[in-house]
Amino acid sequence: MDYSDTVERVSQKIVSRGHTVDKSRIEQKLKQLVEEFGVPSAEAERTVTNELFREFGITTEVATGAGDQKEINQFQNGEWVTTEGKVVALSSAPSPAIAQTGIFADKSGAIRFVTWSKANAPLMEKNKCYRLESAVVDEFRGVLNLKIHSGTVIKEIESLENIQPDYTPIDDLSPGVGSVKAKVIQEWDSTHERMLQSGLLGDKSGTIKFVIWRDGDVEKLTPGSVYSIFYALVDEYQGRLSLNLNTATVIPEDEDIEVTSGETSFSGAFVHMAPGSGLIKRCPVEGCNRVLSRQNYCPVHEIQPKFVYDLRIKGWLDDGRNARELLIQRENVEKLTGINLDQAQEIAENNPLGMDEVFLRMRDQVLGKYLSCRGREIEHRILVSECAFEAYDPAVLADLLNRAGGDE
Amino acid sequence: MNEQQPKTAPQKYSFEREPAKRVFAAELRETRIHFKDADDEKSPSYVLLPTGERCNRIFAVGTLTEKRKQGDQNLFYRARVVDPTGTFFVMAGSYQPEAMQQMARIEPPSFVAVVGKPSIYETPDGAFLVSVRCESITVVDKDARDHWVLDTAKATLDRLDLDGQTPDSARARAEYQADPAIFRRMVYDALAQMKI
Ligand SMILES: [Zn+2]
Repeated sequence: MDYSDTVERVSQKIVSRGHTVDKSRIEQKLKQLVEEFGVPSAEAERTVTNELFREFGITTEVATGAGDQKEINQFQNGEWVTTEGKVVALSSAPSPAIAQTGIFADKSGAIRFVTWSKANAPLMEKNKCYRLESAVVDEFRGVLNLKIHSGTVIKEIESLENIQPDYTPIDDLSPGVGSVKAKVIQEWDSTHERMLQSGLLGDKSGTIKFVIWRDGDVEKLTPGSVYSIFYALVDEYQGRLSLNLNTATVIPEDEDIEVTSGETSFSGAFVHMAPGSGLIKRCPVEGCNRVLSRQNYCPVHEIQPKFVYDLRIKGWLDDGRNARELLIQRENVEKLTGINLDQAQEIAENNPLGMDEVFLRMRDQVLGKYLSCRGREIEHRILVSECAFEAYDPAVLADLLNRAGGDE
Repeated sequence: MNEQQPKTAPQKYSFEREPAKRVFAAELRETRIHFKDADDEKSPSYVLLPTGERCNRIFAVGTLTEKRKQGDQNLFYRARVVDPTGTFFVMAGSYQPEAMQQMARIEPPSFVAVVGKPSIYETPDGAFLVSVRCESITVVDKDARDHWVLDTAKATLDRLDLDGQTPDSARARAEYQADPAIFRRMVYDALAQMKI
């Protein structure tokens, strides 16, 4: 049998990638496979090529029957893959149609997996490593999932090394699975009976809400402490990300880390001004500063006739997708409404509606207008440090006309 | 894929507020479908916009061209607010005293910003009327109106770009059988009117 054409092709593939190879070595390998092992020549060519590629560290996509073997961070929606990794978390199946769900990880990343009940697949165990052949990558709400169906072959393999994930800066997290090193900077009141704890985690890059649901032996985090959190679910709701820690491995760290000031920006229409906005009275007792009722009553210090006046606006800014609650304090209230504290007091004292008149005038200045603001988010509310009315931008018009007319 | 998706724990909290969708009058007028996510009274009701998104509340800026006081015991206002594509029929009743007081103080014609809930009535002869129950109405300037036209054009194009890929978008495509090109044209015409 003449191998010269095949040798030439294989050699060419190596040479074109900048390496030199002895042609007699290629011929010897081919000959061995075909003549000694009865391998079809096309398959022999493929095998030798792959072997040499590996030897020279050349990476390429080589098709296999069960979908390409891929690392998790290379997965794309809709493809069939073969992959090796570790089951790092299991969570309770949310419906009878699902036999098992959890997180599958390798050194490149991690992905949620779902095993359908009708797949009749063997259940995987946490912390064991598996090779999955012919699993399907599927996208749901912008997040990739790995589907294990009846055609998927599951094989337990030896423990993989070095799959400890890298930390992702909070600001760079995207929906899916993520690992962070972060500090618990706020703990919030639970809003749901099934919720064990919720609050805010922060690192140098940003902050994110976290939630722990009552499920199995989960524990609360300690405010002010730093944790390494591996394989948390990054969920998205109305454009905002949160971390669900129920799947995560949480390790307390004996160190302190730098945390961002937590400023966020948000723009939209001011769609609601809440009662308690406008001119308000605060308790004068040192360190109290609570807002007094109309009868000058502080919930702690009772009647306080020597109250202190202040200005604030509470309300909702709405960009058409999300509505965010705002708290705007005096300086910015004065800037937005053009009414300063002295003027507000004067209006209240010389008007039959009193403080209500200040509310109405401020409402008419702000409600229904487009605002952009920055501030720290505290307990779901943006404490506004900077804000301004947004001006109409005619440059946007040309872009939108193009978009609208693009299909014609 | 149509198979059931894994659910994570409930994520909706009381501190959240339904966003106010940006929708042109000509699209809102074509809205026919309304629904609730759950049976309990507290769950919000939605209309399904023909371009493919659920909508519990709208924010609209236009010109108040007409307002009429109606009713004897239950006083309410009926108003027309016009945008570049058509007319919003806005109602302010005693169930929203703040909106009614605001309405009382505004004289047409003026630019107004309206926040409200869309509702659909089917008349005995089978016609549909879509109106907006007003939560608030305030006078704004032309800048705010122009800003809203761009904002709403963008939101509408974004919805059209979903192209049946979200459950709401797929449902709207199936239920309304509307040609997306008609809404794209509506957006284009609205924008074209802004050129001076
Ligand atoms: Zn006090």
